[in-house]
Amino acid sequence: MIKLTNEDKLNIEKVAQTLKKHYGDHEDPWGLTIDKAQRSLELIYPFYKYYFQTRVFGVENVADKQYMVVSNHSGQIAIDGLLIGTAFAMEVDHPRILRAMVERFFTNLPFINKWASECGAVLGDRENCQNLLERGESLLVFPEGVRGVAKSTPDYYNVQEFTRGFYRMALKSNIEIIPVAVIGAEETFPYVYQAKWLAKKLGLPALPISANYLPLPSPVDIYIGKPIRVANDLSTLDTDHDIDPYIDEIEVTIQSMIDEGLKNRREMPLVNLIKGRKS
Amino acid sequence: MNILIIGASGGLANILTGLLHQSHPHAHITGVDSRPLKNDIHNPNFTFRKMRYTRSQFEKLFREKRFDYVYHLGRMSHVGGSNQQDIIKRLNLNLIGTNKILELSLQFGVKKIIVLSTHHVYGALSDNPVYLKEDAPLRASIKYPELRDVTEMDSLCTNWMWRFKDKISTVIFRPCNIIGPQINNSISQYLRSDYSPLPIDFNPMFQFIHELDMATILKRAIDDIDTGVYNVAPEQTVSLAKAKELVGSSHIDFPISLVSPLAFVLKKFWSFPDYLLDYIKHSCIIDGNALRRQIPDHHYRYTIDESLKLINL
Repeated sequence: MIKLTNEDKLNIEKVAQTLKKHYGDHEDPWGLTIDKAQRSLELIYPFYKYYFQTRVFGVENVADKQYMVVSNHSGQIAIDGLLIGTAFAMEVDHPRILRAMVERFFTNLPFINKWASECGAVLGDRENCQNLLERGESLLVFPEGVRGVAKSTPDYYNVQEFTRGFYRMALKSNIEIIPVAVIGAEETFPYVYQAKWLAKKLGLPALPISANYLPLPSPVDIYIGKPIRVANDLSTLDTDHDIDPYIDEIEVTIQSMIDEGLKNRREMPLVNLIKGRKS
Repeated sequence: MNILIIGASGGLANILTGLLHQSHPHAHITGVDSRPLKNDIHNPNFTFRKMRYTRSQFEKLFREKRFDYVYHLGRMSHVGGSNQQDIIKRLNLNLIGTNKILELSLQFGVKKIIVLSTHHVYGALSDNPVYLKEDAPLRASIKYPELRDVTEMDSLCTNWMWRFKDKISTVIFRPCNIIGPQINNSISQYLRSDYSPLPIDFNPMFQFIHELDMATILKRAIDDIDTGVYNVAPEQTVSLAKAKELVGSSHIDFPISLVSPLAFVLKKFWSFPDYLLDYIKHSCIIDGNALRRQIPDHHYRYTIDESLKLINL
Protein backbone atom coordinates (compact mmCIF):
# COMPACT_ATOMS: atom_id res chain seq x y z
CA MET A 1 0.00 0.00 0.00
CA ILE A 2 1.37 3.42 -0.96
CA LYS A 3 1.52 5.73 2.05
CA LEU A 4 1.40 9.49 2.43
CA THR A 5 4.47 11.36 3.65
CA ASN A 6 4.10 13.83 6.52
CA GLU A 7 4.46 16.67 4.01
CA ASP A 8 1.61 15.22 1.90
CA LYS A 9 -0.57 14.94 4.99
CA LEU A 10 0.13 18.57 5.90
CA ASN A 11 -0.68 19.73 2.37
CA ILE A 12 -3.98 17.84 2.34
CA GLU A 13 -4.90 19.24 5.75
CA LYS A 14 -4.12 22.77 4.52
CA VAL A 15 -6.26 22.28 1.43
CA ALA A 16 -9.12 20.81 3.51
CA GLN A 17 -9.06 23.84 5.81
CA THR A 18 -9.26 26.18 2.81
CA LEU A 19 -12.12 24.15 1.35
CA LYS A 20 -13.98 24.19 4.66
CA LYS A 21 -13.90 27.99 4.66
CA HIS A 22 -15.68 27.91 1.32
CA TYR A 23 -18.03 24.94 1.76
CA GLY A 24 -18.54 24.90 5.54
CA ASP A 25 -18.76 21.84 7.78
CA HIS A 26 -22.20 20.73 6.63
CA GLU A 27 -23.10 18.36 3.83
CA ASP A 28 -24.26 20.28 0.79
CA PRO A 29 -27.58 19.35 -0.90
CA TRP A 30 -25.73 17.06 -3.35
CA GLY A 31 -24.03 15.21 -0.49
CA LEU A 32 -20.55 16.76 -0.60
CA THR A 33 -18.90 16.64 2.82
CA ILE A 34 -15.44 18.14 3.14
CA ASP A 35 -14.40 15.83 5.99
CA LYS A 36 -15.27 12.78 3.91
CA ALA A 37 -13.71 14.33 0.80
CA GLN A 38 -10.53 14.89 2.80
CA ARG A 39 -10.44 11.22 3.86
CA SER A 40 -10.87 10.18 0.22
CA LEU A 41 -8.15 12.60 -0.85
CA GLU A 42 -5.81 10.96 1.66
CA LEU A 43 -6.48 7.63 -0.09
CA ILE A 44 -6.33 8.91 -3.66
CA TYR A 45 -3.35 11.26 -3.35
CA PRO A 46 -0.68 8.53 -2.95
CA PHE A 47 -1.95 6.95 -6.18
CA TYR A 48 -2.08 10.36 -7.85
CA LYS A 49 1.46 11.26 -6.80
CA TYR A 50 3.38 7.99 -6.61
CA TYR A 51 1.49 5.39 -8.64
CA PHE A 52 0.44 7.55 -11.62
CA GLN A 53 3.24 10.11 -10.98
CA THR A 54 0.84 12.82 -12.11
CA ARG A 55 2.31 16.03 -13.52
CA VAL A 56 0.16 19.10 -14.03
CA PHE A 57 0.92 21.81 -16.60
CA GLY A 58 -0.83 25.16 -16.92
CA VAL A 59 -1.93 25.77 -13.31
CA GLU A 60 -1.25 29.47 -13.94
CA ASN A 61 -4.33 29.46 -16.22
CA VAL A 62 -6.64 28.88 -13.23
CA ALA A 63 -7.75 32.05 -11.43
CA ASP A 64 -9.84 32.36 -8.28
CA LYS A 65 -13.14 32.14 -10.15
CA GLN A 66 -15.79 29.74 -11.32
CA TYR A 67 -15.06 27.58 -14.39
CA MET A 68 -16.45 24.76 -16.40
CA VAL A 69 -13.56 22.36 -16.88
CA VAL A 70 -13.95 20.35 -20.09
CA SER A 71 -11.68 17.37 -20.65
CA ASN A 72 -11.07 14.40 -22.89
CA HIS A 73 -12.21 11.18 -21.27
CA SER A 74 -10.00 8.12 -21.01
CA GLY A 75 -8.95 5.16 -18.88
CA GLN A 76 -11.98 2.81 -19.06
CA ILE A 77 -12.95 3.36 -15.39
CA ALA A 78 -12.71 7.16 -15.47
CA ILE A 79 -9.50 7.43 -13.47
CA ASP A 80 -8.98 10.74 -15.28
CA GLY A 81 -11.87 12.30 -13.35
CA LEU A 82 -10.25 11.41 -10.03
CA LEU A 83 -6.87 12.74 -11.13
CA ILE A 84 -8.21 16.03 -12.54
CA GLY A 85 -10.27 16.52 -9.37
CA THR A 86 -7.19 15.89 -7.22
CA ALA A 87 -5.12 18.29 -9.35
CA PHE A 88 -7.66 21.10 -8.95
CA ALA A 89 -7.80 20.52 -5.19
CA MET A 90 -4.08 20.08 -4.57
CA GLU A 91 -2.10 21.86 -7.29
CA VAL A 92 -3.87 25.10 -8.19
CA ASP A 93 -3.43 28.27 -6.16
CA HIS A 94 -7.10 28.45 -5.28
CA PRO A 95 -8.13 24.91 -4.30
CA ARG A 96 -11.63 23.85 -5.24
CA ILE A 97 -13.81 20.80 -5.48
CA LEU A 98 -14.63 20.25 -9.13
CA ARG A 99 -18.17 18.92 -9.33
CA ALA A 100 -17.75 16.01 -11.74
CA MET A 101 -20.78 15.20 -13.85
CA VAL A 102 -21.49 11.49 -13.80
CA GLU A 103 -23.63 9.27 -16.03
CA ARG A 104 -27.13 8.28 -14.92
CA PHE A 105 -26.26 4.59 -14.42
CA PHE A 106 -23.53 5.67 -11.97
CA THR A 107 -26.03 7.11 -9.48
CA ASN A 108 -27.56 3.66 -9.02
CA LEU A 109 -24.29 1.96 -8.09
CA PRO A 110 -24.18 1.01 -4.40
CA PHE A 111 -21.19 2.28 -2.37
CA ILE A 112 -19.61 3.96 -5.42
CA ASN A 113 -22.39 6.52 -5.76
CA LYS A 114 -22.30 7.20 -2.01
CA TRP A 115 -18.55 7.72 -2.03
CA ALA A 116 -18.58 9.81 -5.22
CA SER A 117 -21.38 12.08 -3.93
CA GLU A 118 -19.55 12.69 -0.67
CA CYS A 119 -16.51 13.73 -2.74
CA GLY A 120 -18.52 16.15 -4.89
CA ALA A 121 -19.65 14.15 -7.94
CA VAL A 122 -23.17 14.90 -9.18
CA LEU A 123 -25.66 13.53 -11.67
CA GLY A 124 -24.97 14.90 -15.14
CA ASP A 125 -28.42 16.36 -15.51
CA ARG A 126 -28.73 19.79 -17.06
CA GLU A 127 -30.97 21.21 -14.34
CA ASN A 128 -28.72 19.77 -11.66
CA CYS A 129 -25.66 21.39 -13.25
CA GLN A 130 -27.43 24.69 -13.72
CA ASN A 131 -28.31 24.75 -10.02
CA LEU A 132 -24.65 24.10 -9.15
CA LEU A 133 -23.49 26.87 -11.47
CA GLU A 134 -25.95 29.28 -9.84
CA ARG A 135 -24.30 28.48 -6.51
CA GLY A 136 -20.89 29.43 -7.91
CA GLU A 137 -19.54 25.87 -8.21
CA SER A 138 -17.00 24.79 -10.83
CA LEU A 139 -17.92 21.79 -12.94
CA LEU A 140 -15.91 19.00 -14.49
CA VAL A 141 -17.49 17.83 -17.72
CA PHE A 142 -16.56 15.06 -20.14
CA PRO A 143 -18.60 15.89 -23.24
CA GLU A 144 -17.51 12.65 -24.94
CA GLY A 145 -19.51 10.76 -22.30
CA VAL A 146 -19.23 6.97 -22.23
CA ARG A 147 -17.92 7.01 -25.82
CA GLY A 148 -14.79 8.73 -24.55
CA VAL A 149 -13.99 6.50 -21.64
CA ALA A 150 -14.99 3.23 -23.25
CA LYS A 151 -12.74 3.11 -26.31
CA SER A 152 -10.93 0.20 -27.92
CA THR A 153 -7.13 0.48 -28.18
CA PRO A 154 -7.03 1.75 -31.82
CA ASP A 155 -9.17 4.77 -30.82
CA TYR A 156 -6.95 5.89 -27.93
CA TYR A 157 -6.23 9.64 -27.90
CA ASN A 158 -8.79 10.34 -30.62
CA VAL A 159 -11.28 12.75 -29.12
CA GLN A 160 -14.81 11.44 -29.74
CA GLU A 161 -17.62 13.74 -30.85
CA PHE A 162 -18.71 16.13 -28.08
CA THR A 163 -22.32 16.37 -26.96
CA ARG A 164 -23.71 19.93 -26.90
CA GLY A 165 -25.28 20.20 -23.45
CA PHE A 166 -22.18 21.56 -21.73
CA TYR A 167 -21.89 24.52 -24.09
CA ARG A 168 -25.54 25.46 -23.69
CA MET A 169 -25.07 25.37 -19.90
CA ALA A 170 -21.95 27.53 -20.17
CA LEU A 171 -23.87 29.95 -22.39
CA LYS A 172 -26.73 30.21 -19.92
CA SER A 173 -24.36 30.89 -17.00
CA ASN A 174 -21.89 32.91 -19.06
CA ILE A 175 -19.08 30.91 -17.52
CA GLU A 176 -15.57 30.45 -18.92
CA ILE A 177 -14.53 27.02 -20.17
CA ILE A 178 -11.12 25.59 -19.30
CA PRO A 179 -9.96 22.92 -21.75
CA VAL A 180 -8.03 20.05 -20.21
CA ALA A 181 -6.11 17.22 -21.88
CA VAL A 182 -5.14 14.06 -20.01
CA ILE A 183 -2.23 12.01 -21.33
CA GLY A 184 -1.32 8.60 -19.95
CA ALA A 185 -4.66 7.40 -18.59
CA GLU A 186 -5.37 5.42 -21.79
CA GLU A 187 -2.30 3.22 -21.10
CA THR A 188 -3.59 2.19 -17.67
CA PHE A 189 -5.57 -0.37 -19.72
CA PRO A 190 -3.28 -0.78 -22.76
CA TYR A 191 -5.15 -3.50 -24.66
CA VAL A 192 -8.91 -3.19 -24.69
CA TYR A 193 -11.66 -4.40 -26.98
CA GLN A 194 -15.09 -2.89 -26.34
CA ALA A 195 -17.77 -5.56 -26.76
CA LYS A 196 -20.44 -3.02 -27.70
CA TRP A 197 -22.94 -5.60 -29.00
CA LEU A 198 -22.76 -7.60 -25.75
CA ALA A 199 -22.98 -4.44 -23.60
CA LYS A 200 -26.14 -3.48 -25.48
CA LYS A 201 -27.67 -6.93 -24.91
CA LEU A 202 -26.85 -6.78 -21.20
CA GLY A 203 -28.06 -3.19 -20.87
CA LEU A 204 -24.62 -1.92 -19.82
CA PRO A 205 -23.13 1.39 -20.95
CA ALA A 206 -19.86 -0.39 -21.91
CA LEU A 207 -18.21 -3.78 -21.61
CA PRO A 208 -14.43 -3.65 -21.95
CA ILE A 209 -12.57 -6.90 -22.60
CA SER A 210 -9.11 -6.06 -21.38
CA ALA A 211 -5.73 -7.72 -20.86
CA ASN A 212 -5.79 -6.31 -17.31
CA TYR A 213 -8.64 -5.30 -15.00
CA LEU A 214 -6.58 -3.25 -12.55
CA PRO A 215 -5.08 -0.02 -13.87
CA LEU A 216 -1.37 -0.22 -14.69
CA PRO A 217 0.96 2.49 -13.29
CA SER A 218 1.06 4.63 -16.40
CA PRO A 219 2.48 8.13 -15.72
CA VAL A 220 -0.25 10.72 -16.26
CA ASP A 221 0.14 14.31 -17.48
CA ILE A 222 -2.68 16.83 -17.10
CA TYR A 223 -2.55 19.88 -19.38
CA ILE A 224 -4.70 22.83 -18.34
CA GLY A 225 -5.38 25.18 -21.25
CA LYS A 226 -6.24 28.86 -21.29
CA PRO A 227 -9.85 29.76 -20.41
CA ILE A 228 -12.23 30.11 -23.36
CA ARG A 229 -15.04 32.65 -23.21
CA VAL A 230 -18.40 31.55 -24.55
CA ALA A 231 -19.63 33.35 -27.66
CA ASN A 232 -21.21 36.71 -26.88
CA ASP A 233 -23.49 36.58 -29.89
CA LEU A 234 -25.10 33.25 -28.99
CA SER A 235 -27.94 32.35 -26.68
CA THR A 236 -29.22 29.03 -25.36
CA LEU A 237 -32.09 29.29 -27.82
CA ASP A 238 -29.78 29.20 -30.85
CA THR A 239 -29.81 26.13 -33.05
CA ASP A 240 -27.28 23.30 -32.97
CA HIS A 241 -26.08 24.56 -36.35
CA ASP A 242 -25.15 27.92 -34.76
CA ILE A 243 -23.49 26.38 -31.70
CA ASP A 244 -21.61 23.51 -33.34
CA PRO A 245 -18.66 25.59 -34.68
CA TYR A 246 -17.84 26.75 -31.13
CA ILE A 247 -18.03 23.20 -29.78
CA ASP A 248 -15.85 21.98 -32.66
CA GLU A 249 -13.31 24.64 -31.75
CA ILE A 250 -13.07 23.33 -28.17
CA GLU A 251 -12.85 19.75 -29.46
CA VAL A 252 -10.01 20.75 -31.80
CA THR A 253 -8.24 22.66 -28.99
CA ILE A 254 -8.29 19.61 -26.72
CA GLN A 255 -7.19 17.28 -29.56
CA SER A 256 -4.23 19.56 -30.33
CA MET A 257 -3.35 19.71 -26.59
CA ILE A 258 -3.41 15.88 -26.58
CA ASP A 259 -1.24 15.67 -29.73
CA GLU A 260 1.23 18.11 -28.21
CA GLY A 261 1.22 16.30 -24.85
CA LEU A 262 1.84 12.93 -26.50
CA LYS A 263 5.23 14.23 -27.65
CA ASN A 264 6.32 14.44 -24.01
CA ARG A 265 4.62 11.26 -22.84
CA ARG A 266 6.53 9.27 -20.29
CA GLU A 267 6.78 5.50 -20.63
CA MET A 268 5.37 3.20 -18.01
CA PRO A 269 7.96 2.13 -15.39
CA LEU A 270 7.57 -1.48 -16.58
CA VAL A 271 8.31 -0.46 -20.19
CA ASN A 272 11.35 1.52 -19.02
CA LEU A 273 12.53 -1.53 -17.12
CA ILE A 274 12.20 -3.78 -20.21
CA LYS A 275 13.88 -1.17 -22.41
CA GLY A 276 16.73 -0.83 -19.88
CA ARG A 277 17.34 -4.59 -19.91
CA LYS A 278 17.38 -4.72 -23.72
CA SER A 279 19.93 -1.95 -23.92
CA MET B 1 -65.04 33.66 9.38
CA ASN B 2 -65.71 29.91 9.09
CA ILE B 3 -62.83 27.52 8.65
CA LEU B 4 -62.98 23.78 8.00
CA ILE B 5 -60.01 21.54 8.78
CA ILE B 6 -60.25 18.08 7.23
CA GLY B 7 -58.00 15.55 8.94
CA ALA B 8 -58.36 17.44 12.21
CA SER B 9 -57.28 14.54 14.34
CA GLY B 10 -53.65 14.71 13.18
CA GLY B 11 -50.85 16.44 15.05
CA LEU B 12 -50.32 19.09 12.39
CA ALA B 13 -54.03 20.01 12.36
CA ASN B 14 -53.90 20.29 16.13
CA ILE B 15 -51.10 22.89 15.97
CA LEU B 16 -52.78 24.69 13.07
CA THR B 17 -56.01 25.02 15.07
CA GLY B 18 -54.09 26.70 17.88
CA LEU B 19 -52.31 29.09 15.53
CA LEU B 20 -55.54 30.01 13.71
CA HIS B 21 -57.19 30.73 17.03
CA GLN B 22 -54.35 33.15 17.86
CA SER B 23 -54.36 34.94 14.50
CA HIS B 24 -58.12 34.86 13.92
CA PRO B 25 -59.65 34.72 17.45
CA HIS B 26 -63.22 35.19 16.21
CA ALA B 27 -63.05 32.54 13.52
CA HIS B 28 -65.24 29.46 13.93
CA ILE B 29 -63.18 26.38 13.25
CA THR B 30 -64.76 23.01 12.45
CA GLY B 31 -62.55 19.96 12.57
CA VAL B 32 -63.50 16.79 10.70
CA ASP B 33 -61.83 13.40 10.72
CA SER B 34 -62.78 9.76 10.30
CA ARG B 35 -60.63 9.08 13.36
CA PRO B 36 -61.49 10.33 16.87
CA LEU B 37 -59.83 13.54 18.09
CA LYS B 38 -56.56 12.64 19.82
CA ASN B 39 -56.01 15.74 21.93
CA ASP B 40 -58.61 17.98 23.51
CA ILE B 41 -58.70 21.43 22.01
CA HIS B 42 -59.71 24.11 24.49
CA ASN B 43 -61.19 26.65 22.17
CA PRO B 44 -64.86 27.69 22.44
CA ASN B 45 -64.87 28.44 18.71
CA PHE B 46 -63.76 24.92 17.77
CA THR B 47 -66.07 22.00 17.12
CA PHE B 48 -65.06 18.49 16.09
CA ARG B 49 -67.13 16.08 14.00
CA LYS B 50 -66.13 12.48 13.42
CA MET B 51 -67.26 11.51 9.93
CA ARG B 52 -66.13 10.25 6.53
CA TYR B 53 -65.61 12.82 3.79
CA THR B 54 -67.66 10.92 1.25
CA ARG B 55 -70.86 10.63 3.25
CA SER B 56 -73.95 12.82 2.81
CA GLN B 57 -73.57 14.32 6.28
CA PHE B 58 -70.33 15.87 5.02
CA GLU B 59 -72.31 17.72 2.35
CA LYS B 60 -74.78 18.78 5.03
CA LEU B 61 -71.91 20.28 7.00
CA PHE B 62 -70.86 22.42 4.01
CA ARG B 63 -74.46 23.51 3.45
CA GLU B 64 -75.01 24.55 7.06
CA LYS B 65 -71.64 26.15 7.88
CA ARG B 66 -70.85 27.99 4.62
CA PHE B 67 -67.10 27.78 5.11
CA ASP B 68 -64.84 30.57 3.91
CA TYR B 69 -61.62 28.55 4.05
CA VAL B 70 -61.04 24.81 3.82
CA TYR B 71 -57.87 22.99 4.83
CA HIS B 72 -57.52 19.52 3.35
CA LEU B 73 -54.97 17.81 5.58
CA GLY B 74 -56.77 14.48 5.44
CA ARG B 75 -54.64 12.51 2.98
CA MET B 76 -54.43 8.93 4.18
CA SER B 77 -50.79 8.04 4.66
CA HIS B 78 -48.92 4.83 3.90
CA VAL B 79 -48.25 4.02 7.55
CA GLY B 80 -51.15 1.56 7.74
CA GLY B 81 -50.15 -1.12 5.28
CA SER B 82 -49.51 -2.01 1.67
CA ASN B 83 -51.73 -4.94 0.79
CA GLN B 84 -54.25 -4.69 -2.00
CA GLN B 85 -57.12 -3.75 0.34
CA ASP B 86 -55.08 -0.96 1.95
CA ILE B 87 -54.22 0.41 -1.47
CA ILE B 88 -57.86 0.36 -2.60
CA LYS B 89 -58.91 2.04 0.66
CA ARG B 90 -56.27 4.74 0.20
CA LEU B 91 -57.23 5.30 -3.43
CA ASN B 92 -60.88 5.66 -2.45
CA LEU B 93 -60.27 8.07 0.38
CA ASN B 94 -57.52 10.10 -1.23
CA LEU B 95 -59.11 10.42 -4.65
CA ILE B 96 -62.87 10.12 -4.23
CA GLY B 97 -62.71 11.95 -0.90
CA THR B 98 -60.59 14.77 -2.31
CA ASN B 99 -62.81 15.13 -5.35
CA LYS B 100 -65.83 15.44 -3.07
CA ILE B 101 -64.10 18.10 -0.96
CA LEU B 102 -63.18 20.12 -4.06
CA GLU B 103 -66.69 19.88 -5.53
CA LEU B 104 -68.38 20.90 -2.28
CA SER B 105 -65.94 23.80 -1.83
CA LEU B 106 -66.83 25.14 -5.26
CA GLN B 107 -70.54 24.49 -4.83
CA PHE B 108 -70.81 26.27 -1.48
CA GLY B 109 -68.72 29.33 -2.27
CA VAL B 110 -65.51 28.59 -0.32
CA LYS B 111 -63.02 31.43 -0.91
CA LYS B 112 -59.86 29.39 -0.63
CA ILE B 113 -58.96 25.73 -0.31
CA ILE B 114 -55.54 24.74 1.02
CA VAL B 115 -54.37 21.21 0.23
CA LEU B 116 -51.51 19.41 1.93
CA SER B 117 -49.85 17.14 -0.62
CA THR B 118 -46.30 15.83 -0.24
CA HIS B 119 -42.86 16.00 -1.88
CA HIS B 120 -43.16 12.22 -2.31
CA VAL B 121 -45.11 12.92 -5.53
CA TYR B 122 -41.80 13.54 -7.32
CA GLY B 123 -40.53 10.08 -6.40
CA ALA B 124 -37.20 9.02 -4.95
CA LEU B 125 -35.29 8.23 -8.12
CA SER B 126 -31.60 7.92 -8.87
CA ASP B 127 -31.79 10.54 -11.63
CA ASN B 128 -33.55 13.23 -9.60
CA PRO B 129 -31.86 16.60 -10.02
CA VAL B 130 -31.18 18.78 -7.01
CA TYR B 131 -33.47 20.80 -6.76
CA LEU B 132 -36.91 19.68 -7.96
CA LYS B 133 -39.12 22.62 -8.85
CA GLU B 134 -42.91 22.57 -8.80
CA ASP B 135 -43.11 21.94 -12.54
CA ALA B 136 -41.06 18.72 -12.33
CA PRO B 137 -42.93 15.60 -13.46
CA LEU B 138 -44.63 13.59 -10.72
CA ARG B 139 -42.79 10.29 -11.10
CA ALA B 140 -43.52 8.57 -7.79
CA SER B 141 -45.80 5.96 -9.31
CA ILE B 142 -43.64 5.11 -12.33
CA LYS B 143 -41.72 2.41 -10.47
CA TYR B 144 -44.25 1.62 -7.77
CA PRO B 145 -47.95 1.73 -8.72
CA GLU B 146 -48.73 1.56 -4.98
CA LEU B 147 -47.93 5.27 -4.86
CA ARG B 148 -50.42 6.31 -7.51
CA ASP B 149 -52.89 7.63 -4.92
CA VAL B 150 -50.24 10.16 -3.87
CA THR B 151 -49.56 11.47 -7.38
CA GLU B 152 -53.15 11.26 -8.59
CA MET B 153 -54.49 13.19 -5.63
CA ASP B 154 -51.96 15.93 -6.27
CA SER B 155 -52.73 15.98 -10.02
CA LEU B 156 -56.45 16.08 -9.30
CA CYS B 157 -56.01 19.16 -7.12
CA THR B 158 -53.62 20.86 -9.56
CA ASN B 159 -55.96 20.35 -12.52
CA TRP B 160 -58.79 21.61 -10.37
CA MET B 161 -56.79 24.66 -9.35
CA TRP B 162 -56.23 25.79 -12.97
CA ARG B 163 -59.73 24.88 -14.13
CA PHE B 164 -61.52 26.95 -11.50
CA LYS B 165 -58.91 29.57 -10.68
CA ASP B 166 -61.40 32.37 -11.42
CA LYS B 167 -63.98 30.96 -9.03
CA ILE B 168 -61.98 29.64 -6.09
CA SER B 169 -58.44 30.16 -4.86
CA THR B 170 -56.48 26.93 -4.38
CA VAL B 171 -53.12 26.54 -2.67
CA ILE B 172 -51.35 23.18 -2.87
CA PHE B 173 -48.37 22.53 -0.62
CA ARG B 174 -45.81 19.84 -1.32
CA PRO B 175 -43.78 19.89 1.88
CA CYS B 176 -40.59 17.99 2.56
CA ASN B 177 -40.61 15.58 5.50
CA ILE B 178 -42.65 17.07 8.35
CA ILE B 179 -41.32 16.04 11.74
CA GLY B 180 -42.04 16.93 15.32
CA PRO B 181 -43.24 15.50 18.62
CA GLN B 182 -46.87 15.43 17.41
CA ILE B 183 -46.20 13.90 14.01
CA ASN B 184 -46.25 10.15 13.53
CA ASN B 185 -45.65 9.69 9.80
CA SER B 186 -43.42 6.99 8.25
CA ILE B 187 -40.21 9.03 8.38
CA SER B 188 -40.79 10.06 12.02
CA GLN B 189 -41.29 6.42 12.98
CA TYR B 190 -38.16 5.51 11.03
CA LEU B 191 -36.06 8.19 12.72
CA ARG B 192 -37.31 7.41 16.22
CA SER B 193 -36.90 3.64 15.99
CA ASP B 194 -33.78 2.03 17.43
CA TYR B 195 -34.22 -0.87 15.04
CA SER B 196 -34.57 0.95 11.75
CA PRO B 197 -32.22 -0.14 8.97
CA LEU B 198 -29.66 2.41 7.78
CA PRO B 199 -28.19 1.83 4.32
CA ILE B 200 -24.41 1.46 4.20
CA ASP B 201 -24.28 1.60 0.40
CA PHE B 202 -26.33 4.78 -0.13
CA ASN B 203 -26.66 7.95 1.92
CA PRO B 204 -29.40 10.13 0.43
CA MET B 205 -29.88 13.77 1.35
CA PHE B 206 -33.05 14.82 3.15
CA GLN B 207 -34.98 17.98 3.99
CA PHE B 208 -37.03 18.29 7.16
CA ILE B 209 -39.48 20.89 8.36
CA HIS B 210 -40.60 21.21 11.96
CA GLU B 211 -44.34 20.75 12.57
CA LEU B 212 -44.68 24.27 13.98
CA ASP B 213 -43.04 25.84 10.92
CA MET B 214 -45.33 23.84 8.62
CA ALA B 215 -48.41 24.80 10.64
CA THR B 216 -47.33 28.47 10.48
CA ILE B 217 -47.10 28.31 6.68
CA LEU B 218 -50.52 26.65 6.51
CA LYS B 219 -51.93 29.42 8.67
CA ARG B 220 -50.41 32.12 6.44
CA ALA B 221 -51.95 30.53 3.35
CA ILE B 222 -55.28 32.20 4.21
CA ASP B 223 -54.06 35.77 3.83
CA ASP B 224 -50.60 35.78 2.27
CA ILE B 225 -50.26 33.03 -0.33
CA ASP B 226 -51.71 33.22 -3.84
CA THR B 227 -53.25 30.40 -5.84
CA GLY B 228 -50.54 27.96 -6.88
CA VAL B 229 -48.48 24.88 -6.13
CA TYR B 230 -45.64 25.35 -3.68
CA ASN B 231 -42.83 23.13 -2.47
CA VAL B 232 -42.17 23.71 1.20
CA ALA B 233 -38.60 23.17 2.42
CA PRO B 234 -35.94 25.09 4.27
CA GLU B 235 -32.66 25.60 2.43
CA GLN B 236 -30.70 23.34 4.74
CA THR B 237 -30.29 19.65 3.89
CA VAL B 238 -28.92 16.70 5.84
CA SER B 239 -27.92 13.15 4.95
CA LEU B 240 -29.98 10.26 6.30
CA ALA B 241 -27.07 8.95 8.37
CA LYS B 242 -26.52 12.38 9.95
CA ALA B 243 -30.27 12.73 10.61
CA LYS B 244 -30.31 9.46 12.56
CA GLU B 245 -27.26 10.63 14.48
CA LEU B 246 -28.95 13.94 15.37
CA VAL B 247 -32.13 12.19 16.54
CA GLY B 248 -29.96 10.00 18.73
CA SER B 249 -31.63 6.69 17.92
CA SER B 250 -29.77 3.49 17.13
CA HIS B 251 -29.93 1.72 13.80
CA ILE B 252 -29.03 -1.48 12.02
CA ASP B 253 -26.50 -1.11 9.21
CA PHE B 254 -27.51 -2.94 6.06
CA PRO B 255 -26.84 -2.85 2.30
CA ILE B 256 -30.10 -1.64 0.78
CA SER B 257 -29.08 -2.88 -2.67
CA LEU B 258 -29.38 -6.44 -1.30
CA VAL B 259 -32.55 -5.80 0.65
CA SER B 260 -34.52 -4.36 -2.30
CA PRO B 261 -34.64 -7.66 -4.27
CA LEU B 262 -35.31 -9.56 -1.04
CA ALA B 263 -38.21 -7.24 -0.21
CA PHE B 264 -39.67 -7.90 -3.66
CA VAL B 265 -39.81 -11.61 -2.83
CA LEU B 266 -40.99 -11.08 0.76
CA LYS B 267 -43.82 -8.92 -0.48
CA LYS B 268 -45.51 -11.99 -1.99
CA PHE B 269 -45.96 -13.48 1.48
CA TRP B 270 -46.02 -10.48 3.74
CA SER B 271 -47.54 -7.02 3.35
CA PHE B 272 -44.30 -5.07 3.16
CA PRO B 273 -44.11 -1.51 1.76
CA ASP B 274 -40.99 -2.16 -0.37
CA TYR B 275 -41.69 0.97 -2.42
CA LEU B 276 -40.74 3.08 0.59
CA LEU B 277 -37.21 1.65 0.53
CA ASP B 278 -36.29 3.91 -2.39
CA TYR B 279 -36.95 6.91 -0.14
CA ILE B 280 -33.99 5.87 2.04
CA LYS B 281 -31.88 5.13 -1.03
CA HIS B 282 -32.21 8.12 -3.35
CA SER B 283 -32.58 11.83 -2.64
CA CYS B 284 -35.67 13.87 -3.41
CA ILE B 285 -34.56 17.44 -2.73
CA ILE B 286 -37.10 20.14 -3.54
CA ASP B 287 -36.77 23.83 -4.33
CA GLY B 288 -38.74 26.00 -1.91
CA ASN B 289 -38.02 29.35 -3.58
CA ALA B 290 -41.49 29.90 -5.06
CA LEU B 291 -42.99 29.91 -1.56
CA ARG B 292 -40.15 32.08 -0.21
CA ARG B 293 -41.07 34.69 -2.82
CA GLN B 294 -44.71 34.62 -1.61
CA ILE B 295 -43.82 35.13 2.06
CA PRO B 296 -40.37 36.77 2.04
CA ASP B 297 -40.71 37.81 5.69
CA HIS B 298 -41.17 34.21 6.84
CA HIS B 299 -38.25 32.67 8.68
CA TYR B 300 -38.12 29.04 9.70
CA ARG B 301 -38.11 28.97 13.47
CA TYR B 302 -36.29 25.66 13.72
CA THR B 303 -33.12 24.60 11.91
CA ILE B 304 -32.96 21.03 10.63
CA ASP B 305 -30.62 20.11 13.49
CA GLU B 306 -33.07 21.51 16.06
CA SER B 307 -36.08 19.83 14.43
CA LEU B 308 -34.35 16.46 14.50
CA LYS B 309 -33.17 16.83 18.08
CA LEU B 310 -36.69 17.78 19.18
CA ILE B 311 -38.45 14.87 17.47
CA ASN B 312 -38.61 12.75 20.65
CA LEU B 313 -39.95 15.43 22.99
